[in-house]
Amino acid sequence: MVSAIFVVLLLVIGIYCILATYNLIRVLIGVEILIKAVTLLIIAAGRQNGNMALAQAMVVSIIVIEVVIMTIAVGVVIGIHRYNNSLDSRKIRKLKG
Amino acid sequence: MYALLILAPFLGSFILNLPFRKVNKRLSFGVCAALFLLQMAVILIPDFGLNKINPAALANIFNFDLGVDALSKVMLFCTGLVAFVTLCTSSFFLKDGDDKFNFANVLLIAVSGMNGIVLAQDIFSLYVFLEITAVASFILIAFNREELGLEGAFKYILLSSIATVLMIAGIALFFLVSGSTHFAVIHSALLAQDKSLLINLAIALFVSALFIKGGLMPFHGWLPDAYSSAPAASSVFLAGIVTKAAGVYVLIRMLVSLVGFSLTLKSVLLFVGAFSAIIGAIAALTQTDFKRMLSYSSISQIGYIMLGVGTGTVLGLAGAALHIFNHAVFKSLLFMNSAAVEKALGTRDTSKMGGLGSQMPVTGLTSVLGSLSCAGIPPLAGFWSKLIIIIALWSAGFKTYAVIAILGSVLTLAYFLSLQRSVFFGKLNAEFRNIKEAGFSLLFPMILLGVITLGVGIFLPLVLDKFILSFNAVLGG
Repeated sequence: MVSAIFVVLLLVIGIYCILATYNLIRVLIGVEILIKAVTLLIIAAGRQNGNMALAQAMVVSIIVIEVVIMTIAVGVVIGIHRYNNSLDSRKIRKLKG
Repeated sequence: MYALLILAPFLGSFILNLPFRKVNKRLSFGVCAALFLLQMAVILIPDFGLNKINPAALANIFNFDLGVDALSKVMLFCTGLVAFVTLCTSSFFLKDGDDKFNFANVLLIAVSGMNGIVLAQDIFSLYVFLEITAVASFILIAFNREELGLEGAFKYILLSSIATVLMIAGIALFFLVSGSTHFAVIHSALLAQDKSLLINLAIALFVSALFIKGGLMPFHGWLPDAYSSAPAASSVFLAGIVTKAAGVYVLIRMLVSLVGFSLTLKSVLLFVGAFSAIIGAIAALTQTDFKRMLSYSSISQIGYIMLGVGTGTVLGLAGAALHIFNHAVFKSLLFMNSAAVEKALGTRDTSKMGGLGSQMPVTGLTSVLGSLSCAGIPPLAGFWSKLIIIIALWSAGFKTYAVIAILGSVLTLAYFLSLQRSVFFGKLNAEFRNIKEAGFSLLFPMILLGVITLGVGIFLPLVLDKFILSFNAVLGG
């Protein structure tokens, strides 16, 4: 139950972090917090149904995948910064329609 | 033996990156092409040598629970075909040897991931393969490191990560109620319990994650941006197969082997499908950018596939699978046409074009084939899949949706005719007098896909009943 509260808390923080900022890196940090929240949910589920070994295996895989995604994402952000000299998401709205 | 379809592309990219770079660079095209052609051969020819490998011999190195039915075979074949034409397109557009090599490597990883998605029988391995495919497609979109490509890639990364969060939450809840991640175990656990709030929440989370990945209408924001900003070869690959494998196929697989068709789910799918089919077509009508128009057309066609899936019948599922195949063929073809036009003219604005049919005869002819197939004109392949979907909707009692599907087809015809008229017919713009047809490595896949569209359309009725009956096994009935 306690972990469920923390999951919801982390989800709220993550969503707020994504919505409140225009900085691309901060948006990515918000996404990270969201992924952490659901990772915690998996651990809580594993503890609840007594299948902790499987939960641990899943969590380790999720962490690895998340790192890969963030590496690519930060690479893309660096590329955007090269063109704009800024990390402001309001300046990258060329694609419309 | 199907485990080889996941292992071989992965090992291929591993071996290509061993020392002796110079040799590997020259080999990369051949290795990829051979792997993709083998994948098609394995599906098409039941007596093929690779099909005789004993599964037990592989169990020692790669112990995975894999399942194959008619639907996965359609997907595996599409993956091989689209990957092959993407490779040809990339070798035409990428001039630098390093770029070609890198593209081939990323393509191999993406194909390995998609074969995994199609074959996985376990909800968590499915997620892992989904992410492998997604990461490879991020790289493919941003491949040229141009400003628009990076922006499209960032949007895709953001929405895909949100889909990931929803999906992991769904997986965690399924894991909570069943104690396992295997499809069969979860399925029986869900049958045993009443549909509690927790289970409904898990299903809702999972389905909305897949709507984002599939680019269906309320969640489509990233799709036109990512498709239109990606380099030519990448958009062929993304539109042709990635969204369908990562969104639509996983959704069908989840409905069929995980949660089953409930009335609520059916109505949600039908509504979202009809909404995407109509609004996507209307949005496509208003576009003047060639690739953007094709992207909205993709959304509309994926709506059709959803309409077929939403019926929950064998006929609807067969129609959806056939439309997945047809869409993979004609949308790759049309994206290649747009790439050829963009390469020749240096612009994608259709209002500036006109009369290109006389200068680029092959591109013009194949794009007419692709557009008419997409609009569902007999005897092209698209006609049969749309017909099956509409008949399935009608016979399942969803008559309103059947009428909407026909209306959507008329809209499809409208935007493709206006596209054809403004690009390939009419008077030739004087400044484009000297343009030439694209090179052989682009014309070959175009002709190949054009022939497939025509051939499937003409010869499909001969095997149609067999094809539909093979989907009985998919629904487990």
